[in-house]
Amino acid sequence: MTGRRVIVVGGGLGGLWATLAIAGGGHRVLLFSLFEVMRSHSVCAQGGINAVLDYQGQHDSVAQHIRDTLKGGSWLANQPPVKSMCEAAPGLIRTFERMGVTFSRTPEGLLDQRLFGGVKHKRTCFAGASTGQQLMHGVDQQVRRLEAEGRVEKHEWWEYLGLVKDGAGVCRGVVAMDLRSLGVQAFPADAVVLATGGLGQLYAPQTTCSTNSTGAAASRAYQQGARFANAELFQFHPTAMLGEDKTRLMSEAARGEGGRVWVPKDPADRREPNRIPEAERWYFLEDWYPAYGNTVPRDIASRAIWRVCRELKQGIGGGDRVYLDLTHLDPGFVESRLGAILSIYRKFAGTDPLDAPMEIFPAAHYAMGGLWVDFERDPASGGVKPGSPRNHATSIAGLYACGECDYGYHGANRLGANSLLSASYSGRVAGEAVLSHLAGIERGADAVPAAPFDAEVARQQAINRELMTGQGNESPYRLHEELGALMTSRVGVVRDNAGLDRALEELAALERRAAHMALAEASPWANQTLAYARQVQDMIRLARVMAASARVRDECRGAHYKPEFDLPLPQSGRSAQDLGSPEWSQYRERWAANNARWLKTTVAEYSADGPRIDFEPVDLSVLAPDQPRDYR
Amino acid sequence: MLNNEILSWRAATRPRTGAAAIAVRSPVLLTSYPLLDTPHCKPSGRTSKLPMPSINNPHFVLRRLHSLLGVVPVGAFLAFHLWENSQSRFGAQHFNEAVVGALAGLNYLPFIEIGLIALPLLFHAVYGLVIIGGGRAEPLRYPYLRNRLYWLQRLSGIGLLVFILVHVGMTRIAGLMDPAIHADLFGHMRAALSNPWVLGFYLLGLWLAVLHFANGLATAAISWGLTTSAAAQRRFGRVCAGFGLLLGAIGTHGLAGYLIAPTGAGA
Amino acid sequence: MIGIAGSQQLDLRRVGTGYAGGTRDTRASTRAGIETQRQDPADNQSVELRVRRQDAPDAAPYWQTFRLRVRPGDNVVSVLRALRLHPITADGEPVDPVAFEHNCMEEVCGACAMLIDGAPRPACSTLLADLGTVIRLEPLPKFPVVRDLMVDRARLFERLSRVKAWVRLDGPWDTHERAPRIAQRQWATDYLYSRCMSCGICLAACPQVDGQAQDNNGFIGPAALAQVRLLNAHPLGRYDKPERLHAIMAQGGLTDCGNAQNCVRVCPKKIPLTTAIGELGRQTTVQALQDLFGA
Repeated sequence: MTGRRVIVVGGGLGGLWATLAIAGGGHRVLLFSLFEVMRSHSVCAQGGINAVLDYQGQHDSVAQHIRDTLKGGSWLANQPPVKSMCEAAPGLIRTFERMGVTFSRTPEGLLDQRLFGGVKHKRTCFAGASTGQQLMHGVDQQVRRLEAEGRVEKHEWWEYLGLVKDGAGVCRGVVAMDLRSLGVQAFPADAVVLATGGLGQLYAPQTTCSTNSTGAAASRAYQQGARFANAELFQFHPTAMLGEDKTRLMSEAARGEGGRVWVPKDPADRREPNRIPEAERWYFLEDWYPAYGNTVPRDIASRAIWRVCRELKQGIGGGDRVYLDLTHLDPGFVESRLGAILSIYRKFAGTDPLDAPMEIFPAAHYAMGGLWVDFERDPASGGVKPGSPRNHATSIAGLYACGECDYGYHGANRLGANSLLSASYSGRVAGEAVLSHLAGIERGADAVPAAPFDAEVARQQAINRELMTGQGNESPYRLHEELGALMTSRVGVVRDNAGLDRALEELAALERRAAHMALAEASPWANQTLAYARQVQDMIRLARVMAASARVRDECRGAHYKPEFDLPLPQSGRSAQDLGSPEWSQYRERWAANNARWLKTTVAEYSADGPRIDFEPVDLSVLAPDQPRDYR
Repeated sequence: MLNNEILSWRAATRPRTGAAAIAVRSPVLLTSYPLLDTPHCKPSGRTSKLPMPSINNPHFVLRRLHSLLGVVPVGAFLAFHLWENSQSRFGAQHFNEAVVGALAGLNYLPFIEIGLIALPLLFHAVYGLVIIGGGRAEPLRYPYLRNRLYWLQRLSGIGLLVFILVHVGMTRIAGLMDPAIHADLFGHMRAALSNPWVLGFYLLGLWLAVLHFANGLATAAISWGLTTSAAAQRRFGRVCAGFGLLLGAIGTHGLAGYLIAPTGAGA
Repeated sequence: MIGIAGSQQLDLRRVGTGYAGGTRDTRASTRAGIETQRQDPADNQSVELRVRRQDAPDAAPYWQTFRLRVRPGDNVVSVLRALRLHPITADGEPVDPVAFEHNCMEEVCGACAMLIDGAPRPACSTLLADLGTVIRLEPLPKFPVVRDLMVDRARLFERLSRVKAWVRLDGPWDTHERAPRIAQRQWATDYLYSRCMSCGICLAACPQVDGQAQDNNGFIGPAALAQVRLLNAHPLGRYDKPERLHAIMAQGGLTDCGNAQNCVRVCPKKIPLTTAIGELGRQTTVQALQDLFGA
C-alpha cells in the first residue's frame, strides 16, 4: 500500500469516522480542528441514534425506518443513500457498542430503545440523554489510538481557510491558519474530506448550536466552486430553552419518554403551572395530531408552537413560550433516561423540570442542506454502491464532504435521532469512498507544482492583512448579531417572499459592510477577533445562499414553510371512506401536481454577484412518494 | 513559575507545529513517513517511555511499601507503644520492671528495634518527604475536610519527624548513654514532663502521631482498594477517627500517668 | 464553594421575559438593544470583572478591570462574549478583547473551564446570579497559558494516550454479532464515568498535579484514571486491563494520588472520581500480587 496523505477537516462524529476509515485503510490522515476534537458540536446531541434492532416487540423493520425517514423529509432526500444508511444502522450501533459506548440497557442487558418524533416504533438507541457525547467518546478513543500509533496526525487549533486546486481544478490540499501563531500554511493532500458541521450560528443567539457551528468552512468551499444543495431547508427544534445568550436544546427524547406540551387555555393565566388544573390546560399537539401526539416531527411541532404563540397569541402570558411538562412522569425514570437535560435545565433556568414544567420555544437547530455530494446507485441492491469513489464526492474532484455539512440524508426535514446516524454513516462512507479514490489516482499531491499552493496561501494572507490593517469601522461581533436577528426574523420558521426579498437586500448590504471591519485588536498571537471576522464574512455569504434558495422554492416542504403556498390537509377524517371523498382526491391531485413541480433539489453555485440557483431531480427509485405527510 | 510554564508549553506544542512546518513545502520529507500498513507498528516516541509491569518498575512498589510500613509495623508499634506507656500510672516500680525491664529482657532486641521499628520508620519518613515534595496543598482555596486532612497529614509528618528525633534522643539514646536513665526511665520521664514545655511538646507530638496514623489508615484503605465508594470511605473514615481518639486518649492517659502515679515501690 | 467576592447578590436567576423570537426588527433594534443593555455601569445590575490577562505564553500576567451591565440569566461566558463588543476597561481604556475558550455553552464540551473567584469551574454554567458583583477571572491553573483565559490542555489528552484509554478493536466495521449484554446496574455506574468532558477542572484542583512537571513524570490526574476504571469494566476493554493498570502503576500513576479528594468536589459533572481511584487501588493491588506471585 502506498500510504497516501488525506486531510480531514473537522473532528466531530463525521470527521472522526472518516478518519477511522481512511487511516484503517493504511493512509496517513491529517486531522484539522478548530479546537481539541473532543469539543466538537457532536457532543451536544442528546436524545439518541436510530437503528432498527426491534428489541421492543413492536415488529419494527428497516423498511419502516426508510419510509419514516423519507416521508419525514417530505420525500426530498435521494433515496438510495437513505436506504443504505438505514440498513447499515444496526451494524453501526454494534460497532459503537464494541468501542465501549455506554448505551442505556434494558433489564435483560440489551440495548434499550425509546420513541422519537415522526415514528411509531421505539427505534432510538441512547446513552442517557448525552448520546452524542458518548458516541464521540467511542470514536475519539479509536482515533487517539491511531494517533498514538502514528497513523493520524492531529492539527488542533487550526482553522481551514480554503482549498488548493491544481490547474485541472482537482483539489490538492488545503490552506489553514494556526489559531495561535496566526501562521497561514498550505498542506498538500491526495484527498480532502470536509466534516465541518452545521451552521446554526447564522441564527445566533436563537440556536441550539455551538458557537463554532458557523458554516464558514462549507461557505469557503462553496465560494471556491463546490455546489451547495437545499440551503433553504433548515430545521428549527421545537423545544429549546429560552435564553439570551443561547437557546439550549431540550431533547426530543423528553417528548418521546412521555413529556407533554401545553399552554394554559387562558394566556393571561398567571398561576404557577402546577396549580393549573387539567381542564384549564390545552395540550395542543395532542389535540391537533391525535395519532402522533407530542411526537410529531420537528417541523410540525415547531410550526404548531409558532402558531399557538404568534397567530393565536396563546403562549404563556401571551409570550413566545409553551410548557414542556415532565412532572407527571416517575421522577426516577425521568432521571435515569433524561438526566443530562434535566441537569442543563436546572443549571441554566434555576428550576427543576421534575417540579415544574419547562418553558420552551423553537430555535434554529440543524441544516438539512449542505455541500452537494454525489452517490453511485447500486442497481443490485437499490442502495448506494459500497466503496464507490463517487459517494460523498462534492462537485470538486478530490473533495469529499460528510456529516451535517453535506445535504445527503434528510430531505426537507430531519427526523430526531437520525443525525447521529447520518453523521456516523456518512463519515464512514466518505472514508471508504476516499480509499477508492486514492486507489485510482496516479499522481500524488506532492507531484503538483508549488504555484497553486503559494497562490492560495498568498490569497488567504491578503485577506488577513486586509482585516488586520483595514481602516473599517464595523465590528464583526455586531455584524454577527445583526445577521442572527435578520435570519431569525426573515429566513426562520415562517417565510414569505417579500421578507425574503428584503433579507436578500439586507444580506447584500451586510456583506458590503463586512468588507469594512475594524478588528479593534492587532495582536499577532491568538487573535480571536481575526478568525471571527473571517467567519462572519463567510457566514453572510452562506446566508445569502439560504435566503436565495428559500426565495425560489415557492411551496411548503418540510421545514421550509411559506404560508401563501400551503396545501392544507382536508379537515375530514381519514377512514377509507373519507379518503375516497372528492375533497381528498382533489387534495391528492394538488399534492401530486405540487410534487411534479417542486420535488427537486435546490443547487446553488457561487458567483460574484450572488448565488446562482438551479435544480436537479431527486432519486426516487426506492419508494415512490405515495402519500402526503399526515401525522394527525 | 512562569518561565517553567512557558517551557513546558513549548515542549507540548513544538512537535505539532514543527511537523506542520515541515509538511508545507518539502515533498522529500512527505515521502519519508513510515509505511503505514503494519497495524501493530510501534508508535514512535511515546512507546519507549511506556511503563513496565509493576515488578520491573519500583515506583508502585515503593509507594505501596511506604503505605504498608506506615500501618505495619510503624502504626502497629505506635499503638503498642501508647498502650505500653499507659502503664505509667501504675507507678515507677511496675513501669521500670514489668514494662521496660520485660522489654529490655527480650532476645534479639536490637534486631527488633532496628529492623522492625527504626528502619521502617526511617524509610516511611524519608520517602514521605519525597512525596511531600511532589504536592502543593491549597487548604484555603479548597476548604474540604479531606483536603485539609491532606494538608495536615503532610504537616504532621514533618512535625513528627522532629518530635520522634527529639523523643528517641531523650529516651532511648539517652538511656544508652546513661545507665541511670535506663534504670529509672519512669523517673526520667516524670522529671522531664514536669516541665510544662516538655509536656506540651509531648502532647503535641502524641496527637500529631495519632492524627497521622488514623488519617493514614483511612487513606491507605482507599489506596489499597479496601474502601471504594464515597459512603464506604466516609464510614471507614469515622472508624479511623474513633480509633484515633481512643489511641490519643490512651496516650494522654499515659503521659498523665507519669505525673500522677506514685513514685515509690509499693504501688 | 469558595468565599464569594463582593457583597451584593444579584437577582438574576430567572431567564428574562424579553425573548424576542423572530419578531424583532433587525438592525436598529439590535444595535440599540445592545447598547442600552450593556453600557450602563451606573445601574445596580452591573458587575465588575477583574480579569487576569496575559498577552502570550512568555509574557507577564497583569490584571484589568471591566464594568458592564448584565442581563437576567447571564453566565460568565455570556458576559465575556458581551465584553467583546466593548472591550473598554473601567478606566475607559480600549483594550484587546479578552481571549477565552467556549463552544457549547451548555456544559458538555468542556472548553470554558477557568478560575472564577478562585474556584475552577465551567464558565458557561456559572450563573452571575450565584456570584457577587465583583468577579475575578483567571486562567485554569496547572495548564500553560496561551493567552488571557485560554490554556493549553494538550497534556490532558496525552494522558489518555498514556493509559491506553481505548478498546482495541479489530477495526471499525460491523462484526455481525450482537453486542455483549451489560446489566443495567453496571451501565448506571459506567455511564457516570463516560460523561467526562475533559475540562481539566479536576486536575486544576488536585494538589498532586504539578503544573510545571514534564508530561511524562507528573501525576496523571483523576480524569484519565476514571477512564481506566471505565474501560477496564467494558466486556472488550477488559482484555487490555493489565496494560492499562501497568500504565497507571508507573511514575506519576495512581499511587501519586494523595487522597485530597478535591477532584470529586469540583467536578462539574459529579463524576465519582475518588470511587474510581479506590476501585483502581483494588485492581492494582491484585495486579501487583499477580505480577509478583502469579505465573
